[in-house]
Amino acid sequence: MSGIGDILHLLFTANLWQATLAAAVLLLLPALGGVISERSGVVNIAMEGMMLTGAFFAVVADLAWHNPWLATGVAIVAGGLMALIHAVVSIQFRADQIVSGIAINIFAAGLTVFLVNRIYGLQDVGHVGPTEGLPYIDVHGLDQIPFIGQVFFQQNVVVYVALILLVLIHVVLFRTRLGLRIRAVGEHPQAADTAGLNVFAIRYGAVIASGLLSGLSGAFLAIGISNTFVPNMTDGRGYIALAAMIFGKWTPFGAFIACLIFGLGQAIYDNNSIIHVSPYLLSMLPYVLTLIVLAGLVGRSTPPAADGLPYVPGSE
Amino acid sequence: MPLGSVLFAFAVGAIICAVTGANPIDAYSGLICGGFGIACTQGENPALQVSNTIVFLTPLITTGVAVALPFRAGLFNIGAEGQLLAGSVACTAIGVKFGNLPSPILLPMVLLGGMAAGALWAGIAGVLKATVGAHEVVTTIMLNYVAQWLVRFLIIGGPLQLGPGTSKSLPIGEGARLATILPADNSLIIFGLPASVFRVHTGLLIALAAAAAFAFLLWRTSFGYEIRAVGQSQKAARYAGVSVRRTIILTMLIAGAFSGLAGAVQIAGVDHNLTDKYFSDTTGFDAIAVALLGLGSAVGIVLASLLFGALHSGGAIMQSDAGISSNLVLVLQALILFSIAANFVGAIRRGLPFGRKATPDLPPELPPAAGLMSDATAPPPESS
Repeated sequence: MSGIGDILHLLFTANLWQATLAAAVLLLLPALGGVISERSGVVNIAMEGMMLTGAFFAVVADLAWHNPWLATGVAIVAGGLMALIHAVVSIQFRADQIVSGIAINIFAAGLTVFLVNRIYGLQDVGHVGPTEGLPYIDVHGLDQIPFIGQVFFQQNVVVYVALILLVLIHVVLFRTRLGLRIRAVGEHPQAADTAGLNVFAIRYGAVIASGLLSGLSGAFLAIGISNTFVPNMTDGRGYIALAAMIFGKWTPFGAFIACLIFGLGQAIYDNNSIIHVSPYLLSMLPYVLTLIVLAGLVGRSTPPAADGLPYVPGSE
Repeated sequence: MPLGSVLFAFAVGAIICAVTGANPIDAYSGLICGGFGIACTQGENPALQVSNTIVFLTPLITTGVAVALPFRAGLFNIGAEGQLLAGSVACTAIGVKFGNLPSPILLPMVLLGGMAAGALWAGIAGVLKATVGAHEVVTTIMLNYVAQWLVRFLIIGGPLQLGPGTSKSLPIGEGARLATILPADNSLIIFGLPASVFRVHTGLLIALAAAAAFAFLLWRTSFGYEIRAVGQSQKAARYAGVSVRRTIILTMLIAGAFSGLAGAVQIAGVDHNLTDKYFSDTTGFDAIAVALLGLGSAVGIVLASLLFGALHSGGAIMQSDAGISSNLVLVLQALILFSIAANFVGAIRRGLPFGRKATPDLPPELPPAAGLMSDATAPPPESS
């Protein structure tokens, strides 16, 4: 069969791994957000909606001001505001966090298209100019290393930022007092409260952080990769990020490995002219793999102990 | 029904309209005209609008039941969409493969096949929950996407594709179709329109029967008692001799059968083939709002389905008459969910519960979130 040879050949091209890393980062940012939020005890299935909101506002701002940096800032804030709704509803009002998450996703899907219609009429949004997207940056010198250079050092600026954030979030979560506090609030909020921590404030911060990261990912998608906004353009990526978070057992690097696996699937999908498998079957892969992990076939994946429990001061 | 939550959502929706330069009165009168055929300004046919609303609400009742039943057992089935798609796929596959069989044989086959496929899809989540404690919210999300991609595979390049270049399936046989309530006859004029434009089909009766079966199962059978016992407290249920594992798996199987039935009825009664429309179908997610707004009771679910069916039907008219995107309906739906979940209305009545002295404010019909997530860490129920 020539198919096997084609796959092997594909796996040895730098193009494939370059695309894999970019696709992984798109998932990594919301997955990191999910890790932070759930480590603090707030279940977050709303990354999809926060990412979509970020994508939309990135394009709106970029079309208005022709400045990708400003647009990315707007997208991050927009993602954060969506997260703030989730925080108010699920922390302050102690709503069911899953219902709130579903509501955020529906709200984002509806609001973005509603606003497209208000701002641009019933036509297309329009395209961001080629020089107005988030730039690809070749790291001078390093990008000339064979293979490695193309994979790691010829990437969009967001890829570098995301990799730095990955290390930073890992260090903060597991090596600093703030990280210890976040995890304490997610494992045993009553004890954390007794120890003098402000459970509400820490949870608010963690949820909003998840929105900021998801908003950045949305900006990357909209003005780094696509250069336009189309309805529902995130197409389930926020949910794949959720899967990556679980797959990675609620740790930043675990999530990153999961994102790389899912990103490889995406990159192969995009190269599907070589491989003769239906792209639609390939697209199932992240979800099927996550089900397999959840089934305990590849080790148990256990969420933080107080994940999903609204904190009621004074309760047992 | 928590009408306050609906009013709250419409009030916030009106503000969103006003802020973005859309006239809320135009928006809502478009919705009312499109949903109920009342106060139409552009000459819409009221009977046609009511008919469209009924077509939209039919699958909402059945999937609403599929979300509400597991709620009673403390399970959150957000996989009604995937189960519905599984049912649609099975119905289409059987209806195409055995398209020549007569209706009395084929119609039960496609409906039961849809139920079996939906039950299988939900059963995966049920078994994973009952055996290894995998959280059903996460597994059903994953299963939704697997089903979505499966549909795309089957009708684009897969075995059910109509022909090269199309993104729809072969049509099911005549014998697999549900009859419309009015004769599908173009020469017959009813309410000023040819009778065939009224698409209300006998699936409505199936949906109402499903709602009745749900109420009967829950309140008149010993299994219904077990479901409620498990939902109240797994520990207490176990002491009372209820098999928690068996109840979880059976509840999910039955819920999946309801969703699968909804999908099969949608194919057999309305569409007659799988199309790319199913890629972006949201019925199973609307069902969550239906179940919550209906407070998990059969009558409530039917009434909530009526509201959401009317909103869907009305959205199209609002967009064509007032030029306001039908996506406002999604915004309203999300606001209703926020409002029910957070019980904003109750909070406003008592003064906002900000600060640390607030009393717990969980809406009564939701299983406590504690039951939702903490189980994921607990050992699987019943280690016997």
